[in-house]
Amino acid sequence: CPALLARLAGAVRASRGLAAGPEMHFGFQTVTEEERREKIYQVFESVAKKYDVMNDSMTLGIHRVWKDILMHKMNPCPGTLLLDVAGGTGDIAFRFINYVRSVRQRQLQRKLKQHQNLSWQEIFESYQKDKFDSLGDSQVVVCDINREMLKVGKQKAQHLGYSKGLSWVLGNAEELPFDDDKFDVYTIAFGIRNVTRIDLALQEAYRVLKPGGRFLCLEFSHVSNPLLSRLYDLYSFQVIPVLGEVIAGDWKSYQYLVESIRQFPPQEELKAMIEDAGFFKVDYENLNFGIVAIHSGFKL
Amino acid sequence: LRCQHYPALRALQTSATLRRAFDEHRKEPLTSSSQQHFDSPPAGHQPEQEPQRPRPSYTGQGGQESEDYESEEQLQHRILTAALEFVPEHGWTAEAIAEGAKTLGLSVAAAGMFHSDGSELILHFVSECNNRLSKLLEKEHKLVQLGEAEKKPIDEFLRDAVEARLRMLIPYIEKWPQALSVLLFPRNIPASLNLLTSMIDDIWHYAGDQSTDFNWYTRRAVLTAIYNTTELVMMQDSSPGFKDTWRFLENRVADAMTMSNTASQVQSTGEAVVQGLMGAAVTVSN
Repeated sequence: CPALLARLAGAVRASRGLAAGPEMHFGFQTVTEEERREKIYQVFESVAKKYDVMNDSMTLGIHRVWKDILMHKMNPCPGTLLLDVAGGTGDIAFRFINYVRSVRQRQLQRKLKQHQNLSWQEIFESYQKDKFDSLGDSQVVVCDINREMLKVGKQKAQHLGYSKGLSWVLGNAEELPFDDDKFDVYTIAFGIRNVTRIDLALQEAYRVLKPGGRFLCLEFSHVSNPLLSRLYDLYSFQVIPVLGEVIAGDWKSYQYLVESIRQFPPQEELKAMIEDAGFFKVDYENLNFGIVAIHSGFKL
Repeated sequence: LRCQHYPALRALQTSATLRRAFDEHRKEPLTSSSQQHFDSPPAGHQPEQEPQRPRPSYTGQGGQESEDYESEEQLQHRILTAALEFVPEHGWTAEAIAEGAKTLGLSVAAAGMFHSDGSELILHFVSECNNRLSKLLEKEHKLVQLGEAEKKPIDEFLRDAVEARLRMLIPYIEKWPQALSVLLFPRNIPASLNLLTSMIDDIWHYAGDQSTDFNWYTRRAVLTAIYNTTELVMMQDSSPGFKDTWRFLENRVADAMTMSNTASQVQSTGEAVVQGLMGAAVTVSN
């Protein structure tokens, strides 16, 4: 059904002479929208099992720092409802749960400190009461279009012991299966590059966010420093596909990955697209000189 | 095909909410004044209105100003003002801002618009207090001009102005030390220094200071010192009604007055001595 809608949308757009017709880029190749969606689905289907391992080896573990920085920027308080789109293997979701749990701990400790001179019985009771509340009603919904990625994510969650406040939904970022005005924060980490119609995804993000809600996007972006850019290109095109072949047995997927990074709009352009979707106070922060950028906007 | 309808719908929504928001703003002062007269729950009424009314929306992307548009700054102002209510409980933190945003019907994520250390909240509060002080001094000044009140002597004026300003801290006094330390962060020093100096300026202006010489600097330095020290004394004052603080303030202002008198006395004595010496020299030379 989404495929049909997308084709109709493409046809309507083409008839109105809007955009670049149904021709899109898949890495450095040119394909139709439909083909692109399928190809990307296949890419992630094949990399799903080795996704985390490849992330660590390609970025030398730095992707963990990037995701931590994203979480610190979000600074969620207990009670936040997070939608993590293209959240596949759950990295952002698990970090969110950890963060909220520690904030909640600190809150409870502060509350206890204020009540001096409690008897042991009372302290025990207060811990009992708040045991059900270790997350403070925070919840994260992980939404991904790819079944394989979700499967890997669920397995990881079980393995690491995350169960409360976590749910897994199969869905398309261009057409989210959620009601309007539902979520406090919408994140998409290293996922928006793979969305075929970025504007639709941004509009959906706007729709499902509550008023005052925040949009956060963590994505590879453009390096402006020429020397660094040269080194980065060298690393990307010479090393990463090789790593892909050696570790995951899949050269083509990782070739797609580095090509898609080059095709993705640079920081300012993405900022303009986010503003077009209706977000305010849109800003971006470059990490590692622009290798990665965090874009943030508010639905006001 | 929803995507096609989106832009048109949004425009309608924006203008409708703008109009409603403007009406809300116009209605608000009325409801608050009727609150005073009738004591009935328009207070209960307003929280019900809040979730129903859509948050005021902004200009179109073109950024054209119209009379009834609320800018991002105004919204941030409103969030910070709402957040002040939660400061005694949560401190000057992003949590207080998040609670404030919640009361306005916004998501708690809106607190992400501000720094996580609460700097903007504190600066906003200081700025609001300074505005209140200005209005108070202006009102008193008008009364004096209309002849309805006596012009206060300078030490009493300074004392009352500083006391009025410091009393505004009383509801937040427990968490104020935290705020003072945040104001000293290098990032915040320009802004906080600016607010402090403009407040001191204001007080001297209404005190009738029209000096154009070095006195301008000395006066401001003296009053700044008085204000800062009194503020610190207030932080650890546990006397009822802060009367120890007000006594300290009185003494400091009196000291400052004596100092200036002494200074002018010393100056005139010095001049007299110099003249005497000159006279003696002339006599001797003749």
